[in-house]
Amino acid sequence: MNELFEPEIVAFVCTYCTYAGADLAGTSRLKYAPNVRIVRLPCTGRISPMFILKALQKGADGILISGCHPGDCHFTHGNYHARRRWMVFRALLEFTGIPSERVKYSWISAAEGGKFADLMNSITEDIRKLGPFDQYKALIKETEAPATF
Amino acid sequence: MVIGYKPGTTADRRRPHFIRTPEEADQLVLDSACITNLSGYLVSEGLLSDEKAVAIFLKPDGIRSINILAAEAQLNIDQILILGFDINDNQVTALEGEKVEEFATLIESIKEQAPDALKNPLLEKIEGMTPKERFTFWQKEFSRCIKCYACRQACPMCYCRRCIVDCNQPQWVNTSSHTLGNFEWNIVRAFHLSGRCVGCGNCDRACPVNIPLRLINAKMAQEVLGSFDHFAGMSHTQEPVLASFKKDDSETFIL
Repeated sequence: MNELFEPEIVAFVCTYCTYAGADLAGTSRLKYAPNVRIVRLPCTGRISPMFILKALQKGADGILISGCHPGDCHFTHGNYHARRRWMVFRALLEFTGIPSERVKYSWISAAEGGKFADLMNSITEDIRKLGPFDQYKALIKETEAPATF
Repeated sequence: MVIGYKPGTTADRRRPHFIRTPEEADQLVLDSACITNLSGYLVSEGLLSDEKAVAIFLKPDGIRSINILAAEAQLNIDQILILGFDINDNQVTALEGEKVEEFATLIESIKEQAPDALKNPLLEKIEGMTPKERFTFWQKEFSRCIKCYACRQACPMCYCRRCIVDCNQPQWVNTSSHTLGNFEWNIVRAFHLSGRCVGCGNCDRACPVNIPLRLINAKMAQEVLGSFDHFAGMSHTQEPVLASFKKDDSETFIL
């Protein structure tokens, strides 16, 4: 089997900046990797760490979290709160063995359609190189197996 | 009411003692086995609602817990009278002060020692591993978890009326005790305690399968201390670290 591994990547984005940036990438006819599934949220401050765990639980190989640049938040400081939270959560994931290469963070404004498309391509390539998240997928499989006594 | 310790089921154990009459005070003990952080009992439902003063035996970590609970608006410090003590080399010494503010210099000195106190050989060993090895390490540890939530019940900081693991619409964390759900539960627990844990060790001692919960908590305490110079429980007006921000917080990891 020489088939290319197609990673599944979930992107949690805020509606005012990154989602608009993705929209711009689309209307500008920029082509980017189709491996990314976008989940649109009101603000990065709404992105609970539970979302990241849920995405992994459902078999994601990579995750992107993206929102407005500092100072650009529609709600003035949602992204500042999010930034702190990510910093702590990132250290926790790292410590428990979920590699930081699989969970990425970015700021993409509504004008950065090009940055969005490029980032989607580069993340897809990076995760493809890393391969599927086998360790986590083994845990998912264990959950689905019938109970043993 | 006075909350203290009385003899437990075995010689080396103590159990909490809630005193309402002077006669009950005879049962009180205070020795080097009194290590449980009792501050969590203060937020149990109805205990403070009559607005009468409550005196409580606390070590420095417990005093810090009181500060956090007050900072998170869970209690009114005017209602709490602290009977402070500390244990050094099995010797119990009394701490000066009654009100939580009077222990500020003590807590300040604990903060100064924190970078060394949080160091742990096993912690450093885990940090030196590759992500894969770390995952395997924690997978092995968490696979023993039976989701009894004793760590949550024992923790003074876990006072939510409705814990996220008790929610089933949507169900964030798998409730069966498969390793996946155990992983998620322990990550969530550690995250909710980031910047709030005082390292009293209640969770660690409560765990029936000896998962080294204190390690994760210590790691998170190091993280908030290093990144935000935040040491949990400095004062009753301290801003919770994850409910505040600075415009110049580091963001080297953001693309």
